[in-house]
Amino acid sequence: MEQIMFSLLNGVIYGLLLFMVSAGLTLIFGMMGVLNFAHASFYMVGAYLAYTLQPLTGFWLAIVIAPLLVATLGVFVERFILRRVHAFGHAHELLVTFGLAVVIAEVIKILYGNFPVDYRVPSSLNFSAFSLGGMEYPFYRLLMGGVALVMFIALYLLLTRTRVGIVVRAAIHRPRMVEALGHNVPIVFMSIFGMGAGLAGLAGAIAGAFYTTNPNMALELGIVVFVVVVVGGLGSMEGAMLASLLIGVMTSLAVSVNASLADLLDTFGQGEWAREVGGVMTLQLSSLAATLPFFLMLLILLTRPSGLMGEKE
Amino acid sequence: MMKKLLIVAIFLTLLAALPALVAESMLNVSVQMLIAALFATAFALLCGQAGMLSFGHAAYFGVGAFATVHAMNAFGGEGLLPTPLLPLVGALMGLVVGLGAGYFSTKRTGTYFAMITLALAELLHSLAPHMRGLFGGEAGISSFRMPAWGFEFGSITEVYYLVLFWTVLCIALLWGLTFTPFGRLVLGLRENTNRLQFLGYNTHVLGTLVFALSAAFTGVAGGLQAIHIEAANYVFLDAHISTAVLLNTFIGGAKVFFGPAIGAATMVFFGHITSDLTRSWLLYQGVIFILVMMYLPRGIVGETLACYRGKAGALSWMILLWRFAGVLVASTGFVLAVELIQRFFSTDYKAERMADGWPSISFAGFDWAPFALGTWGLPLVLITAGIGLIIYINRRGAGQQEART
Repeated sequence: MEQIMFSLLNGVIYGLLLFMVSAGLTLIFGMMGVLNFAHASFYMVGAYLAYTLQPLTGFWLAIVIAPLLVATLGVFVERFILRRVHAFGHAHELLVTFGLAVVIAEVIKILYGNFPVDYRVPSSLNFSAFSLGGMEYPFYRLLMGGVALVMFIALYLLLTRTRVGIVVRAAIHRPRMVEALGHNVPIVFMSIFGMGAGLAGLAGAIAGAFYTTNPNMALELGIVVFVVVVVGGLGSMEGAMLASLLIGVMTSLAVSVNASLADLLDTFGQGEWAREVGGVMTLQLSSLAATLPFFLMLLILLTRPSGLMGEKE
Repeated sequence: MMKKLLIVAIFLTLLAALPALVAESMLNVSVQMLIAALFATAFALLCGQAGMLSFGHAAYFGVGAFATVHAMNAFGGEGLLPTPLLPLVGALMGLVVGLGAGYFSTKRTGTYFAMITLALAELLHSLAPHMRGLFGGEAGISSFRMPAWGFEFGSITEVYYLVLFWTVLCIALLWGLTFTPFGRLVLGLRENTNRLQFLGYNTHVLGTLVFALSAAFTGVAGGLQAIHIEAANYVFLDAHISTAVLLNTFIGGAKVFFGPAIGAATMVFFGHITSDLTRSWLLYQGVIFILVMMYLPRGIVGETLACYRGKAGALSWMILLWRFAGVLVASTGFVLAVELIQRFFSTDYKAERMADGWPSISFAGFDWAPFALGTWGLPLVLITAGIGLIIYINRRGAGQQEART
């Protein structure tokens, strides 16, 4: 029972982390109509910057400054690279963000080496929050979840309760009409892009300390985040939240289950046969945990192509 | 048309004579170049001609390679499948897997399509290490090329001719395909899917077929790679294989038929000759890719052809020459900067720094001190000068054009 509680809690917090990255991605998608491949790279840059700044400024200042720097990087990318290729069409934008992801990963490899760096939770935060059935629960996980929740609420209020939010939502929905009404849409887009990048950077700065910080983290997380955005519905914030939690809990629960298709077939008396066949039949569910999101995505795309909460095709 | 065929004939003669002209190690690279060219051309059938961006073509490359290795082991180069015919297995397997994957992915278009291809490839990549029997776990599966039809297939020359034969055959088939009504329909799929539907074509079936064909030819490339290195492991399914073919294709120019092949061959060639000099080849490749996407949207071969045919507007040789000089100066500066940074941040240097202060780095025949003005000033000056030259030339060219009209 405690095991399951632990997995659930871990899953929810992992889901919240996924949401921090996918929130910006889904906003940017709504705006550009293109999935930004470099988005997870911003997450990675955030982690590395926080790691670099930490000895100089201390942990708290580092996780404030790093996202700001990442947001600046995002603004530059939008202004000087993406805006230029916008005229060549969607495919080009997608490809350029893909190229950017490659370049960012390579630059990180040059500067920090092709191995994980020693970015750790500061010892002042490294204590257990509570214990459950004899197992200690790290406080830092709760902190990560808390930051993500605060961010979700702030973003939600910003988008739905303020004047800026109205302009942003309108600009995403009908950019030309908003432009005709006298708002500066390119600046709105640039700031959304910067903000999305900054949020990803924040997620990286916080999560990098808990998980490993290595040059592959962008690819690993990036693919899961794409899955989240597609499952949640492209351009939908609430959908991204729902899908993040769903995928977080699903992967986290699957890791602790030691069952295979053969065990399932045991109930029909076919277990022996399945074990003889081997291959897919005897794969443990726990070793498949990483692939479950992809199955979910294929399922969603076949049954409800616009995603859980999406309306755009 | 005659001119085109003449060029192709001359080029083929050159390729056939290559083993007599170059050293053995170069022949090895040539095999890699041929495989990359075939892979990119097959990929461009889907990406360039049908306009469907796939981010997971490593899956079909890997599937082709594994199928070929299994066939090599099963038949031992005898009976129905002697060594020269083995790539057919790769093609068949690619076709079958491509039909399945294509059926799913072509249900959606645009970004969704790209995401599904990526997810399918990642799915296979993360499943493969768990399926020991099929993919040989972490170690992979190895095999041997057996002699057949009087060839030993022991020397690289014979392997080269085998790869050359299949590459030329497949590229010729793909080229021929562009002249058929089916090839025209593929272009229609890219340009205007709605209109094709109005005309009564089933675009889903069409998309699936194109996808499967592309996967089949990719499978041949994978099979050739497996024959060349006599093994296959799950690195073949890795994302960087999909990345490489995508970058190569678009650097060359996805919409011109020979663009991807030329782009891929060139990139592999440069990747090889620079592999001893730099560890950052992928970075350069990525930067070249972004610059090509930003300034030469048709790709290098595509833009060259457009210039040649006069589609890019009037251009004087002088302006092109000056631009080229600017690019050369700026890229010299950029490469210098990257290489110096790479060396100063390397682990070797860190160890030296711990031992005795901040030693200089020797690169390109000079010693570069870490805090000297010249070390960082020179690359900066070169980059600025190169970019400044290009901007100046462009402005002057625009001014002259204005004065003329």
